Amino acid sequence: MAQIDLVDVQKYFGALHVIRDMNLTINDGEFVVMLGQSGCGKTTTLRAIAGLESVTSGKILIDGAEVQDRKSADRDIAFVFQSFSLYPHMTVYENIAFPLRAVGMSTDERGKAVKEVAEVLRIESLLSRRPSALSGGDMQRVAIGRALVRRPKALLMDEPIGALDAKLREEMRAEIKRLHIARNSTSVYVTHDQVEAMSLADRIVIMHDGFLQQIGAPDEVYLHPANLFVAQFVGSPVMNVTNARFSANGSGTKLNVGGAEEGFRFSSEEKAVSYKPTGELMLGIRPEAVHLSHDPLEHGFEVTTTNVEPLGSHDIVDVRVGEATLRARTASGFIGGEGARVWVDIDASQAHFFDGASGLSLSGRH
Amino acid sequence: MASIQLKSVEKKFGGNQALRGLDLEIADGEFFVLLGRTGAGKTTTLRVIAGLEKPDAGKVMIGGQDVDGWNAAERDVTLVLQQYSLYPRLTVRGNLEFPLRSKIRNMTEDEIAARVEKAAQTLQIVPLLDRKVEKLSGGEMQRVSIGRAIVREPQVFLMDEPLSALDAKLRESLRVELKALHSNLGATFLYVTHDQVEAMSMGDKIGVLNKGRLVQVGTPSEIYTNPKNTFVARSVGTPPMNLFDGMIEDNQVRLNDKSSLPISVGDAVSGRVATVGIRPEDMVLESGAPAEAKVFDIEDHGVMKILTLDTDAHRFHATVSAKIHLKLDEVVRIGWNPDKVILFDQESGENLANR
Repeated sequence: MAQIDLVDVQKYFGALHVIRDMNLTINDGEFVVMLGQSGCGKTTTLRAIAGLESVTSGKILIDGAEVQDRKSADRDIAFVFQSFSLYPHMTVYENIAFPLRAVGMSTDERGKAVKEVAEVLRIESLLSRRPSALSGGDMQRVAIGRALVRRPKALLMDEPIGALDAKLREEMRAEIKRLHIARNSTSVYVTHDQVEAMSLADRIVIMHDGFLQQIGAPDEVYLHPANLFVAQFVGSPVMNVTNARFSANGSGTKLNVGGAEEGFRFSSEEKAVSYKPTGELMLGIRPEAVHLSHDPLEHGFEVTTTNVEPLGSHDIVDVRVGEATLRARTASGFIGGEGARVWVDIDASQAHFFDGASGLSLSGRH
Repeated sequence: MASIQLKSVEKKFGGNQALRGLDLEIADGEFFVLLGRTGAGKTTTLRVIAGLEKPDAGKVMIGGQDVDGWNAAERDVTLVLQQYSLYPRLTVRGNLEFPLRSKIRNMTEDEIAARVEKAAQTLQIVPLLDRKVEKLSGGEMQRVSIGRAIVREPQVFLMDEPLSALDAKLRESLRVELKALHSNLGATFLYVTHDQVEAMSMGDKIGVLNKGRLVQVGTPSEIYTNPKNTFVARSVGTPPMNLFDGMIEDNQVRLNDKSSLPISVGDAVSGRVATVGIRPEDMVLESGAPAEAKVFDIEDHGVMKILTLDTDAHRFHATVSAKIHLKLDEVVRIGWNPDKVILFDQESGENLANR
């Protein structure tokens, strides 16, 4: 198992700058998920680590050794693609054993290694079948088995469960994580699905336009986003973001959002905002930190609901505040429909502030 | 008036029976969502109503009139698809005007301009009117294709997964916009999707479709809290409802050799095995709860955590507060809210409460 370092990595496709100043350390035994929209550079980064893509400049180190000029086969890394690349004319056993033939292992040793991997992946009963007789989930299990059988230094996965249906994806998520723990392997996983990233990763690497936006544990990225992109990329429904302004309110402070006359009573501005923004002040507040009530709220005011989405386990209720719409997560059936009057307040401890010009967090944490 | 009725509609493509005696009733002005997987017959249903496919048997009524033999144009319905079929060389305005310039409509320039203006305002695309379509983002393009449907002022909107190609953030905001559009226009909407969040959040009514048949019709909350069978139970909710087979005895479900959990229904099946359904948010973790489980997996979704809990016999999903801290393989005590347990027939999967 291995540590992977990327140092000042740059990658151009012609004039297109797809990886910009990438510096990243993936620790031995860590599960890192690279998250971003299509075209953000996440897959190119993964392929560069694997040696399937060259880098324009910069270094890639595996266990301290520079590998950026080594061939893919000499990096001792395994790669799992979204499309199951199995040999259709071979059985599951032969598919998994295939990489071991290349390294000249004896038949007995091969049998032992295949059996061990098959056990972890719960595909022992399928070993004599052909890939065409397998379900999508089992095919991907076999592909992962083939990647792991020669005990590579790291396992790289490019949206490995993206093609599977929702139920199977959920099952496979837990399995991939257990497998990672059981094998104590270093894993790098690419996805555009924030739910997948949140549920799998020790640390998430969020990318946008070739730039690394933030690295952190799932709860850190969720609770302390470094900028507006991260804030609105992670979490569903997306974080409410609206322009805001602090104003004096007797002895205290008020926070006005969306240009509304009424504001949320706030204990102090200094605690929330460490830096003065160069652009407009933006408030970010997650739907679960927007509180609605049928009774008057001490720090809030009355608003009208504009939309209700009943989701079964909870509802998402939109309210109009000035020019802005705030989405709130409520108990299911909290409000009958749109056009109702309710009180709204926000949890000040969960309020995020950003610079409207740069998009950067003003919390002073980053 | 534009209600829609389908009566015993059958449609076969070669050996593949797409619709099997489909009965469907959509009231005038309703936002009706057809929810189903790929191949359930959703798109075929839309195309049959639009007049793009001819049913092998059965009746299609729009506004109370049998539309058999009417062509697509005569039905006064419009179809919005997942792929925006816009003319790339025309401006947004040109695309919106296009359906109105058809000879059979015979509209004056002033009428056309007024319609385009109104549609553009409804969809907030006025600033885009003179742009070329190829310069638009995905969300803008989908707004324009909806705009092109609106200008004709049809009685019925048929929408085939119009949001699936868009990213999550845009989907969220267009969901709200489409709902507002529906209440502004007062037209009948039939919306087809495989996405249960879209179905739950937008529909006045949801129809769950499986293999060409309608399994259940109801409001989102009826579908969620009172599913007719295990298929519907699994179709809505994330993570999905926990379903497992368990022995029912004395208002208890036997989980394994050691423990049982209480239920408030089930006299009728006492002494038999039933399929037991419980939603992840109705599971509880507390010391003193009746059963024991091991934490098999923890997913931190920020707003909450989804746990996979392993009792010897079954695995359960449970949603808990994000503030609860647990470790993998930790042993916890689990229970559930007995009032929320639903029992299904083990063979047929039918909800036993509905008998």
